[in-house]
Amino acid sequence: MVPSLLTERAGLRPNARFLSAFLGARLLGYLLFAAVASEIGALALKLPAPRVPLMGGVDVLLACMLVWYAYSARHICGQACSGSKLVNISTSRDRRAGRAAALGLLTGLSLCPPFVVAGIRAAQLGSVVQALLFFIFFFVGTSVWFVPFVGLGCVARNQAVIMVARMTMVLVALYYLSLGIAMLIGRKVYG
Amino acid sequence: MASNACMPRFGNEAPRSAGRAVLLTLPILLWSLLMFFHPGGNTGRLWLIADGITAVFMTTLFFMMMRTRRTYRWRRWFFVSVGVLFPIGFIHNVMAMRGTMGIPIEEMIAGRTPFCFMPIPLLILPAAFTRTIVFPGSILPGGGMSGSGIASMVGLWLAITLVIGKGWCSYACFFGGIEEGVAAVPKRAKIRKIDPRWRLGPWAVLMAMVLLSLGLFESAYCMWLCPFKAVSEYVAARNTVGLIQNGIFMLLFGGLVIALPLLTKKRTQCSFFCPFGAFQSIFNKASIFEIKIDQTLCKPCALCQTACPTMSLSNESIARGETLMSCMKCGACVDACPRKAAVWHIKGTEVAGKPERARLMFLYAAWAMAVMFGGSIIAQGIATILHFLA
Repeated sequence: MVPSLLTERAGLRPNARFLSAFLGARLLGYLLFAAVASEIGALALKLPAPRVPLMGGVDVLLACMLVWYAYSARHICGQACSGSKLVNISTSRDRRAGRAAALGLLTGLSLCPPFVVAGIRAAQLGSVVQALLFFIFFFVGTSVWFVPFVGLGCVARNQAVIMVARMTMVLVALYYLSLGIAMLIGRKVYG
Repeated sequence: MASNACMPRFGNEAPRSAGRAVLLTLPILLWSLLMFFHPGGNTGRLWLIADGITAVFMTTLFFMMMRTRRTYRWRRWFFVSVGVLFPIGFIHNVMAMRGTMGIPIEEMIAGRTPFCFMPIPLLILPAAFTRTIVFPGSILPGGGMSGSGIASMVGLWLAITLVIGKGWCSYACFFGGIEEGVAAVPKRAKIRKIDPRWRLGPWAVLMAMVLLSLGLFESAYCMWLCPFKAVSEYVAARNTVGLIQNGIFMLLFGGLVIALPLLTKKRTQCSFFCPFGAFQSIFNKASIFEIKIDQTLCKPCALCQTACPTMSLSNESIARGETLMSCMKCGACVDACPRKAAVWHIKGTEVAGKPERARLMFLYAAWAMAVMFGGSIIAQGIATILHFLA
């Protein structure tokens, strides 16, 4: 999220729109997960076997998304010229929403331990409505931290910052890729 | 005049007289004696020999700096010695205590992981947000294999940084000497044209590692990207992730610390990768010492650019009369400049003022720290070698 916003050279408004799409998709991911959790129940979530490959797949997808994003930002140049349509969030509304949504969905579905615990809790509630409400508040509680990121695009005023952000995305992508591959291989990952 | 003719000349500058150089070296000699032979210090014949050799070594190098008015080549002897001897002493300790270079998960859970300065940038945000140190080591001294705790290392780093700034990377880092030694091996660089965008690498690694450390609550650099795990200690590879991590460590060490320095004659790991170096560039603002280019003397011959081991001089920065943020104050450009346009400088003073005085002030601070920090590493390495020889 942080490197993505840094590759843009947009003001507060476009960044707020980008962040809204990101958070909206994240909320959608949460709600989908809540619905699935309540339907399938706690059993599926407690089984480690299907969870690990799923997490691995999501990590690999996220890595691919980040690499694509970093690659597509290569045309962003000096202050006057416009960036690539793929990444210039202030010109192409459909695409920027799509990209932000994809990032939001993939990070939202990342099954980190607190998320899994929340999923188990939602599954134990026994009602879809209760599970959805539980995840809505889970979303609200965790989204507060994203608000300050709206101003990050304002930092990206020179080529060096954009280049650093692109390199950062590739590095973070490599981290998720290696973790995802390790999980998909199906070997013992931790411990 | 006759005596001057008999004296050796270094570059285009007459050396300082031996008597004056001895006088200037006296404070460092006394400091070395205090550091290595203080009451309650190391005892035993091997340690006394190691401490003695180190004290003589450090004092002699400083004397030569004073005598020849040159910095880089003598500093490099010290720095490469630290880089070579640190793994020897450290690995010996690790093997004696643990029997393996791999850190088992039990050691991490017990908070006995040795702490080095590299993860300091990664600790700040998690500590600020949650008051949690995301490193499995001891806060106080005595918890880790090296005996130094997180608090003491952070305190030492802060004290040194406030004085010499990014000079840390040339006088205190116990890893950089390895690649500086490797880079000194070839006579000429095989790769001369390097895309300047690679200089942004350390900032990218810093940002990625800070974000990952904040998100994952682990010291991401130590777990995934530290090339020097290959010559200190690594994650015990009990699983797939451990294997991947160790593969990355070996790949980075082989590429950035061995292969690329051989091909480029540059400190490539420091220049293109090290997140601590980028972090240190920010704190360098606190230091009063810097290198400046005197525009009235400079004829753009690019000798300083060629000499700089970290690509910290560009045409634009020279035109501005300064080095880039990545400058480690090693003194290579100052020594290489035939017109004395590259000078040591104290902020707030005139550039063409008294550069030798600025150099002396910087060197006293940097060398005093080098004796204390790097000197102890050299002594330990020598003691380890003597232990094996005895």
